[in-house]
Amino acid sequence: MNVPIRMIGLATTFFWIFLIAFVASVGYSAKDLQFGFGELQTSVTSDNDLFFSLPINIANRGYYNIGLFNVITEVSDADGLMIARGDTLMPIIRKGESVTILHNMTLDIDEVLSTHMDYLFNDNELNITESVSLRVADFIPIQASTNFSVPWGAPLYDFAIGNPAYSVINMTHFRVAVPLSFENHALFDIAGNVQINMYNSAHVRAGEGQTVIAAVQHSSFSDIVEFYMRVADVTPSGSFEVYLQTPLFNYGPMVIPYG
Amino acid sequence: MAEKQSYLRKNFKSIVFKALKATVKGAIFYVAYFFLWSMVLAPFAELFPWLELSVETFMAIYITLMIIAEFTAGTVYQYFFSAGRALFVIGYLILTLQGGLVGLTFENVSLLVDLRLFLMMAMLFSLLGLAKSVLQAINYMNEKAETAHMGSLNVKP
Repeated sequence: MNVPIRMIGLATTFFWIFLIAFVASVGYSAKDLQFGFGELQTSVTSDNDLFFSLPINIANRGYYNIGLFNVITEVSDADGLMIARGDTLMPIIRKGESVTILHNMTLDIDEVLSTHMDYLFNDNELNITESVSLRVADFIPIQASTNFSVPWGAPLYDFAIGNPAYSVINMTHFRVAVPLSFENHALFDIAGNVQINMYNSAHVRAGEGQTVIAAVQHSSFSDIVEFYMRVADVTPSGSFEVYLQTPLFNYGPMVIPYG
Repeated sequence: MAEKQSYLRKNFKSIVFKALKATVKGAIFYVAYFFLWSMVLAPFAELFPWLELSVETFMAIYITLMIIAEFTAGTVYQYFFSAGRALFVIGYLILTLQGGLVGLTFENVSLLVDLRLFLMMAMLFSLLGLAKSVLQAINYMNEKAETAHMGSLNVKP
């Protein structure tokens, strides 16, 4: 019985040495893993979605391959409702290899603004959860995650329509000038059309006009929408119905009273 | 009287030999730990503040159990301490490695290291060590019973 016991002892010692040496070398190797982040690129896709791209540089100077390198970005609103998700997977990064991967995420602005109208007019905050996972030497999975907030700039911040100003054109018609203004706090430019339907106090459509809007990010926009209406339809009060059409989002009707 | 003196001398020699063996074994283990710590684990001590104390405690208990096992060599207690050492390693790894999922929060970043595979292998090897100790204890008792039986029959083994 002494020989089998001795063999068990030898095997155990060998396995322990192997395991400790392996884990120690994995730990030592993890030191030589370097990550770098490039500049975040933002653009608008052909589908009129907002596209984010973050280059990630990974230099694996360790002794082992890195497997299943996965980056996940989740954008959620203040209530925790997810509004966008980006997932990038690199199956393997071989030892001694340096790679640059692009972590992409698409944000459907139209969908976001249709469910969160508040985001159209008010600045807010978005919660971002960032998670990076990888498998060192196909043996030890590691995951790091963090969450932080980023400011959301409203594209139509402080949107306002002033009182209509009338000027006489002839005995039957007025020319109406309606001032319109807003500030684009968003990280994208806005270009599109605004249509205004004017209703008098009897809910009769008295007139309609439209104008082209163009506001680069972080700029103010103001214009006057002009149209004609019959004198008979003029009332001291009423309401405007506003429709916005841009490649990124559509919105309307927005009812704004006047008078 | 001379026989008693010879017995005492033999006993003293045996104790000195055991102490020497235990010291050498303990020193080898400590040197191995020292190199492992300074070359591999030290950089992680900044990330895991509990690591140094934890590893030192482990080494202290492990080396103590090893020294006791060496001192009790030649008795059945040696195997008890060896088995205890294997069980200690299993229990310690489970507790320290939090079941294999080691979590850490640094400022706003939470890190999760999945060491379940390592834990599983370490437990298997420890169980192998435990099995070895049990087998050794059985073998020891068996040999002792055999010797006693031979002695009662007045047969030289």
